[in-house]
Amino acid sequence: MSDPHTPNNSKGLPKDDTPDDQLAEIRSLIIGPNQAQLGKLQERLDNPELFARDISRVLPEAVILRSSQDKKLATALMSTIEEVVRSSIKKDRGTLVGALFPVMGPAIRKAVTETFTKMLQSLNQALEKSLSLDGLKWRLEAIRTGKTFAEVVLLHSLVYRVEQVFLIHKETGLLLQHVAGEEVAFRDADMISGMLTAIQDFVRDSFGMQKSEDEIETIQIGELTIWVTQGPELILPAAIRGTAPEELKLVFQEALENIHLEQSDTLESFDGDTAPFETSRHYLKICLQAQYKTKKQKLSPFLWILLGAIIIALGSWGFCSARNHLRWANYLKKINSERGVIVTDAGKRDGKYFISGLRDPLATDPMAVLPDSKFDSENVISHWEPYYALHPEFIIARAKIILNPPETVRLELINNVLHATGSASHQWIAEAYKIARVIPGIAQFHEKNLIDTDISHLTTIKNWIENQRLRFAVNSINPVPGQNDTLRTLAKEIRKLQALTQFLDKRFYIKIIGHTDQSGSEKKNLALSQERANFVASVLIIEGLKGINYKAVGVGSSESLCEEMAEKHREFNRGVSFNIILTDRPTTKGD
Amino acid sequence: MIQKKICMVGAFAVGKTTLVTRFVQSIFSDKYLTTVGVKIDKKSIALGDRDVNLILWDLAGDDSFNKVRMSYLRGASGYLLVVDGTRPITLDTAIGLQKSVDEFFGKGLPFVLLLNKTDLTNEWKLEEETIGALLEKRWIMMKTCAKTGEGVEEAFLTLTRIMLGG
Repeated sequence: MSDPHTPNNSKGLPKDDTPDDQLAEIRSLIIGPNQAQLGKLQERLDNPELFARDISRVLPEAVILRSSQDKKLATALMSTIEEVVRSSIKKDRGTLVGALFPVMGPAIRKAVTETFTKMLQSLNQALEKSLSLDGLKWRLEAIRTGKTFAEVVLLHSLVYRVEQVFLIHKETGLLLQHVAGEEVAFRDADMISGMLTAIQDFVRDSFGMQKSEDEIETIQIGELTIWVTQGPELILPAAIRGTAPEELKLVFQEALENIHLEQSDTLESFDGDTAPFETSRHYLKICLQAQYKTKKQKLSPFLWILLGAIIIALGSWGFCSARNHLRWANYLKKINSERGVIVTDAGKRDGKYFISGLRDPLATDPMAVLPDSKFDSENVISHWEPYYALHPEFIIARAKIILNPPETVRLELINNVLHATGSASHQWIAEAYKIARVIPGIAQFHEKNLIDTDISHLTTIKNWIENQRLRFAVNSINPVPGQNDTLRTLAKEIRKLQALTQFLDKRFYIKIIGHTDQSGSEKKNLALSQERANFVASVLIIEGLKGINYKAVGVGSSESLCEEMAEKHREFNRGVSFNIILTDRPTTKGD
Repeated sequence: MIQKKICMVGAFAVGKTTLVTRFVQSIFSDKYLTTVGVKIDKKSIALGDRDVNLILWDLAGDDSFNKVRMSYLRGASGYLLVVDGTRPITLDTAIGLQKSVDEFFGKGLPFVLLLNKTDLTNEWKLEEETIGALLEKRWIMMKTCAKTGEGVEEAFLTLTRIMLGG
């Protein structure tokens, strides 16, 4: 200060006074009255304590004023504050962590929630994809263990349950509060709390984890998970059965933060008294309440299979039913078209088909054609009343059964008249004639065109006998030798004739006619011819033809067998011929 | 309800576990001692009109505390220091342990010294001098017997009284 005044002093001030004296004089004249105040001001500036006090008075306002003007203050303080925080953490990180804990959680949560939500969505998708395989696996497990599928699902991922929540004083391991879900069996929570803390200490020490923030977060034993939520003073282990969603951790975290906030004073002076923590119980209960999360169950593949099976079964049933219906209709159509079968009732009752009506015993058996219609006879009940069908083929078939005609007979029905053609024995014809007319559907029996084989036979024998000639020597009553065989055959045939006529209810007699040639007198010839006839008759009787009707007559030469042109003709005329007379009525024996 | 964490401390085979077995509620087996190195039991005490739950940390016996075992002591309100009256060495160990504990906590932690195995008094080999020195240091000592249970209840009561009163 003195330097700037130096030039002035050399120009305008008395030379006998020193410049300093003069200056002091002037100063006292000008600021004399304020001297004391200036002194005080100087002292306040020079004294750090006073100066600090003065600044402290205006510092908040100054900071506000400057902060509103620009950001230089923040920039200036930045490095200092960073250093302060660093030092604080270095000194005791617990203090800062404890102070920030109640506010850090919500802030971090908010930031994390959004990311987490996105992550959850993709996780959900992944889970859903894996569900089908898991579902199958769990079903197998359910079958294997005998548990219900619901139980297995409950024990796996779809449902979780927070069974117990502990509030433990971190340092002492003492249990402050404990809540458990309904019907959860638990043992002494005090001891468990101690052991949980001990295990945490054990793990941390055993694996050389020095830092206090190295803490157990999860203990997993089989289906049970223990999530240990850590706070500065408290820990909140929660025993969870099943797989809990990650967001549940936020519930625990929030509960712990709230308890810390509320109980900060109590915790600071904690001496083992757990009573004050009674008020924190409801926070723990909240942790229990957020337990059940039933995931919307997708329709399981097994249900699909079951549904599919039901649909297939119904489809099959419908198809079979329709097919059976069609088959039944076809069957009925077929049966109705059959001759000799009259369906009076048909349908379905109690799951079985039934059919009833009239049936000619000769008609097709309706049950026998069931397999043709692909029907199981067990599924069809039938009842048939017998009747006679009057269709010609049935009448003929019936007639054939009753009359039993030989193969040589052919039967034909024309206007209710049964025509028999061909040939048959006399007996069959006679019986058929009697029976035929009582067969239903037959009014008459026409056998005129039927050859009676017995009559034919009779005629044949008759003709044969009548063609025989026994020759005689001239004027002799003895036959020419060598005709014995003819006589024997004759006798045999006559016996046949006799039997046949008896069978046919006819009568016959044999006319034995003696002949002579035209030589000699007629009178003599007549006698000779008579003798010849008598002789043959006697021979035949000797051959066994007793009891037959015959008549031996001599006709002389009047009925010559041929004209006598030569000796051979005369020889021919010298003989005996036969004539058979058949009658239907019994005849009296000839003379 | 007051809860206090206390520890059972002492040399190997001085009878810590046996001593308290009959007097505490227990759900954990002794194998915890050999695996985790600690077993937690509970002892409920009625002191006047106050109920106190003692959470008893039975530490696996060792002749010297290592770091692992010290960590189990964290948060304890007091401890029972157990000595086998027939083995003077265990008293030395106990003295050492007490020192270590005080160092660990940086303050004097309430404790009661239990001179165990009174049933074998005729085999006791503790030196009177050592005992006298400890008494001079105002150590609280009690004689106990694991077999008869003599002195055990009193030990718990005494420790609790000290902890609450201290």
